[in-house]
Amino acid sequence: MGPAVDGLRQTMEEALGSGDTRIVLNLAEVSMIDSSGIGLLVRFLASTKQRGGNIKLVQPNKFAVQTLRLVGVLNLFEIFDDDDVAVESFA
Amino acid sequence: MSAESSSAPENNALSELLDLSMPANSEAIATVVDTISETLTHLEVPEQKRFEVALAVQEALANAVVHGCGNDPSKQVRCRLKSDPHGRIVIIVTDPGPGFSPDLLADPKQRENLYADHGRGVYLIRQLMDEVHFEHSGNEIRMWKY
Repeated sequence: MGPAVDGLRQTMEEALGSGDTRIVLNLAEVSMIDSSGIGLLVRFLASTKQRGGNIKLVQPNKFAVQTLRLVGVLNLFEIFDDDDVAVESFA
Repeated sequence: MSAESSSAPENNALSELLDLSMPANSEAIATVVDTISETLTHLEVPEQKRFEVALAVQEALANAVVHGCGNDPSKQVRCRLKSDPHGRIVIIVTDPGPGFSPDLLADPKQRENLYADHGRGVYLIRQLMDEVHFEHSGNEIRMWKY
């Protein structure tokens, strides 16, 4: 919630607005994902999928993975350890 | 009003560790969450448990700011941290709003709700904490961690 989610929302809206639908999101520096962040992720995941794209997550920490699992959305996302591998997975 | 079972100790057995008030502004939430996390660190609460409490507090404060106070920063949200003689902790978040009925909330794990952009906060709190009660028509939440 707050500035972090607002910043992500703006970035994602700009990406989608410019036609980018294949998105890699590196979460290595994200210490905690709350319900507002999860809501944002799944909303944009739905938007990208509707346009033939996807959102792939890179290096979420164990707490982020736990949180995504707790609310039942972990398996909606593909998760990678490396940015390059995530990008190549779109090929 | 209680939404869960009731095995929590009586209030008079609790020691107050923190009593914080914050304006109903989402940007004020992080400071309160950090203060609680630091206190738990001093109490040598393990990292996993600190994370679970911090996220539950974050969600409770966000609900209080958005739903209890309508994002009106002239209103105040109160957050207290207490412990009992057995080392169990309880966080109490109170807002001045009319409250709500937690039993009416939809299940966010239902297929039709998986892509919803809201509606996971109270569910997360219940998953993260050991005991959760809503008091005073829902404008006060008491969250226990054992």
